[in-house]
This record gives sequence, structure tokens and C-alpha cells, in this order.
Amino acid sequence: MDGLERYRGIVPEFERLIEAIVRPLPVTARINTLKTDRDRLLFRLREAKVPFQPFSWYSLGLKLDVEKPGNLIENLMGHIHVQEEISMVSPIILDPKPGERVLDLCAAPGSKTTQIASMMVNRGLLVANDPANTRVASLRSNCERAGAINVVVTRYDGRRFPSHEFDRVLVDAPCTGQGMARKDLSVLDRWSLKRSLGLQRLQRALLRRATDLAKPGGTVVYSTCTFAPEENEAVVSWVADQVERVRLEKVSIPGLESCPGLVEWDGSLFGDEMEKCIRYYPHQNDTGGFFVAKLIKE
Amino acid sequence: MWWSRFGTPLSTFEGVSFYRKGRNVWAFSLPEIPDMRCESVGLRFMSVRGRVWKPTTYALQLFGRFATKNAVDLGPDQAEKFIAGEQQSLEADLEDGYVVVSHRGDVLGCGLYTRGELVSQLPKERRIVKEGIENCLSDGDS
Repeated sequence: MDGLERYRGIVPEFERLIEAIVRPLPVTARINTLKTDRDRLLFRLREAKVPFQPFSWYSLGLKLDVEKPGNLIENLMGHIHVQEEISMVSPIILDPKPGERVLDLCAAPGSKTTQIASMMVNRGLLVANDPANTRVASLRSNCERAGAINVVVTRYDGRRFPSHEFDRVLVDAPCTGQGMARKDLSVLDRWSLKRSLGLQRLQRALLRRATDLAKPGGTVVYSTCTFAPEENEAVVSWVADQVERVRLEKVSIPGLESCPGLVEWDGSLFGDEMEKCIRYYPHQNDTGGFFVAKLIKE
Repeated sequence: MWWSRFGTPLSTFEGVSFYRKGRNVWAFSLPEIPDMRCESVGLRFMSVRGRVWKPTTYALQLFGRFATKNAVDLGPDQAEKFIAGEQQSLEADLEDGYVVVSHRGDVLGCGLYTRGELVSQLPKERRIVKEGIENCLSDGDS
């Protein structure tokens, strides 16, 4: 738990975070509207006596009271996708529309990719990129099960993704994953400042490339599942400074408790603009931890 | 081909492009493949071996509900066998060959029907054996 102590000063009700982090995450899933609709799916679950509780803040999200959601027949049919609740936030912030050209730069294993594909109603183009060969297999398998026909899978190094114009780009960056400690507590022991700073170089390069790839007026969303400001505000503020014609837009999701991004951390000033970003802590909504920023290219 | 086998109206595939690569036909949302080094483009729709073609389970899960023939809706026990990957005897109004298999109106996947026997074609990694089924297949009146 030592890895969390450094956040005592920035997390509201820090003791509640410590309590929450040792509790396992609720089992949650998203309804895949490419293959079913909400009423039909909920009817199926009720008939089959599968206990569930819809999210209050997102009509397509469900808490499932089952041990192995992967063995549900609705999962086999691709009518639901088992996905952590808070990770459903970044596609909602990205807000992709049918017919657009969208890039998911760090896509594997494809939870957010398939959510984006369903928001696009299988129209337009969704490029799902991930450099790792092993991870691309799970990405492809999830896209198949979801019934996504508008997805192209690529395997470029995201920092050097070839020049194309996109309406929207999601950078769900590789990170130290502290926000996922409820899945695997050992991520907290594996954290070190050195690891955060090493990833920061990669994250900055990925987000910078994403801003190149967005067309004028386009949207770039940056998200991580870690608390470390080195991988969050320090990345977004650096790119906002480095790249001209990029501005931050305020992020908010009604119905979810959150904190604004940090203006400063450990002697580094990120600027008031960073309050437009959003932080979600596990005890606020009984989820994992998450960070999201939204940038608009002018 | 889908029309003659499954009676699927052509409007089902409005806005969908198809292209062939090797032995597979893929369904894709755009008429042109983007100028990128692609690992995959769209959804694998069917495989073709000479004159024999086989729809993928994923294509049937997406488009199979529009089938008007060579489609069968299984009862709970039959569906359980099907998703476990088993073969079973089945009396149904089906022509021999690949069929759309559903349960309570939702498509489970592709089956091969030959002389009164239905063989599940579900990919091995998607099969669910009996003790693993959380969602019991309800017949709706329980």
C-alpha cells in the first residue's frame, strides 16, 4: 500500500481509498448494441435469472452478480462485453459519430475499441492499433465477437503511426496501472517513480503524435488507469505546451463523482487549465481509478 | 449465396462491402481498404474452399437473424449441447449444409446439418461446457 501514500495530500477522504483498494472490483459489462438492444438483453437476463443492476450514469452498463461472466451465453453471442465500469468513460468522452474516421492508438485488448465501434453503429472507419503481436490476438478476437465490421487492426508503433487524418483519436496509454489495484494489488508494489517517468516519455510521444493525426477541429482523448500525475497531468500539460493550436476542453460525466486534474504536483506547476481534466478514485464510484483529458485541435 | 441459402434480404447488407483475401471473404464498412499496413480489415464473413462456402459464427451472429430459411431455433437442452460444441440428432425443416442456429430468437452461431444430425461449428475457444454455464438457458416459462 506504500505506493499510494504519496497521494494522501491530493485524494479526498484518503482513508476510504485505502479501504476501497483491497476490495475486489464489481463484475461489470457493457451491452453491445451492434448485436442486441438494452431491452432485449435485460429481458434475457431476467428470464435466465442472472442477477444484475444497471449503472445509474450509463444506460449500457451493468453490474453482474455472477462469478464467471465469461461463461454467460450472452457473452458467447457478443451481446455483452465484460468491461470495467470506469473504463467505459473514455469512449463516451471521445464521443465518436457514425461515419467518422477514428483512431484508437493503443487499442488492445479492445474493450474501448468495441465500445467505439458500437457508438459508430458499425459505420465509417475505426483503426485499432497496437504494436504488440500477442495483444493483437485478443484485440481481433474481441472485435470479431462484438461483430465490428468497421474496424481495421494495425500494428504500428503508435509514436510513428503513419500520417492520416482522423476526426477523433483515443490514446488510452500504457501506464503503471495503479487504478487497477483492485484487480491485482501487486501493481502497487511494482510501481516506482522511475517506471512512471519511463512511461511518461512514451505517453508524451504517443499523445503528441495523436495531436498530429487529428484533423483541424478534431478531438483527442488521453486516458490512463493510474493515479501518478507524472503519467497524467505532466503528459497532457507538456503536449498542450509543445503543440500549437491545441486546447483543453472540460471533461465531465453527469452521475459520476470525480476530482479535477491537478494544477501542481511535487513542485511542478501544470497550470489552471489542468483542472479541465478529470480524476476518478476507486472509492468515489466503487470502480477502478482513472484519468481522462480531452484536447481539441484548432 | 446468402440469399439462396438463408433467404437473407439484400437490404441486410446495405452499406457493407465484401472483399476476398485468400480463402476468406471479409465484410467491411467502406468500399475501399485504407492505405495502411493492415492486420485485418472488417469481420471475417465466410470461408471459401472451391465451390463450398462456410459462414463464420460471427457473421451469423450479426446477420443471421435476418435469415428466412435454413435457420433453426433450439430448445434449452439442445442449445446447451450446441454451445458445448456437441453433435445431436435434430428433426427440423432444414436442407443439408450450414445453418443458422439460434436460441429464443438470438443467434448462437453456425451449425452443420447432415441427414438429421446437427454439428456445432462454434469456435473451440467460444464453447461453454455444461457445468460452466452461468446463464442457464431458460425456456421462458419458468
